Amino acid sequence: MQLENLYYFKTELDTEGILFSFSGPLSQKLLLEMGDTLRNKLTLEKATPSLTLKVFSMLVEQTQNIIHYSAEKRTPFHSKEAVSEGIIVVGYENGRYYVLCGNRIYNERVNRITNQLTKLQKMDKDELKDYYKEQRRKGPYADSQGAGLGFIEMARRSATPIEFNFQKVDDRFSFFSLKTSV
Amino acid sequence: MENLKIKATRYTPEISFNAETNVLELKGECYPENIAEFSDPLFSWLEEYLSVLGNQAVIVNVDLNYFNSSTSKMLLNFFDRLEAEVANGKNISVNWIYEPENDSAEEYGEEFQEDLESLSFNLVTKEE
Repeated sequence: MQLENLYYFKTELDTEGILFSFSGPLSQKLLLEMGDTLRNKLTLEKATPSLTLKVFSMLVEQTQNIIHYSAEKRTPFHSKEAVSEGIIVVGYENGRYYVLCGNRIYNERVNRITNQLTKLQKMDKDELKDYYKEQRRKGPYADSQGAGLGFIEMARRSATPIEFNFQKVDDRFSFFSLKTSV
Repeated sequence: MENLKIKATRYTPEISFNAETNVLELKGECYPENIAEFSDPLFSWLEEYLSVLGNQAVIVNVDLNYFNSSTSKMLLNFFDRLEAEVANGKNISVNWIYEPENDSAEEYGEEFQEDLESLSFNLVTKEE
């Protein structure tokens, strides 16, 4: 990138209402630092403690989703902390905070995630609550590394229906992106 | 038996499980990358504790300002385990403690309450 372009890049982010963004290797350690900084920033913006926690919660679920499921997840031999490539964005538009996340996934996972998220999009808040409780009672999916509740949690807490998209990168990968708001 | 004491980190709560006073406490925030790594020692301790527990009253204080979705699953397993002991005649009650303005914590507490039958599960707000 040309040095002069950095200003335009930053102006573009500001115009979109983006108050925080990170693209590159994500880890639990980085999440701790991002989370603290975001909470301080929101407190300065006079968000209530409850709203601040809700935005923070979206940041945690989405970042941990990248950490667990990015197709570009690697663990250095000298460390036990994984590094997963992805992008995370927090912004403000139309009176709401939004959180966006994106990462590469293997093409064979596209259908399953699409079905799962489409199902959540069609549910109202009561149905989401029942589904959440039902899934919490069940064990996680075989390839799930958390409790498999992340997407349902995001859908439940989002003020607008969860949005998602896939863009094909090549024969192996697609880029998965997701948006929620609070 | 030994008490279980674990200091809080930035993403795991302080644990104080006391086998003499029969007060079990979790306090702080919980969003580790791998919940099992954190919770396995808690469940191991709990199993040993329940195996020697008589009919003394046990108080479990859960004061978690924030926890992630995999912790929510772990908490349900924890409460289910306690509820199973209540069915065996044990005297266990849980206090779900939260700040009055933390509406998410209140809602989570209500949902655990709905999912539990015989375990006494109280919602307790902190003093302002």
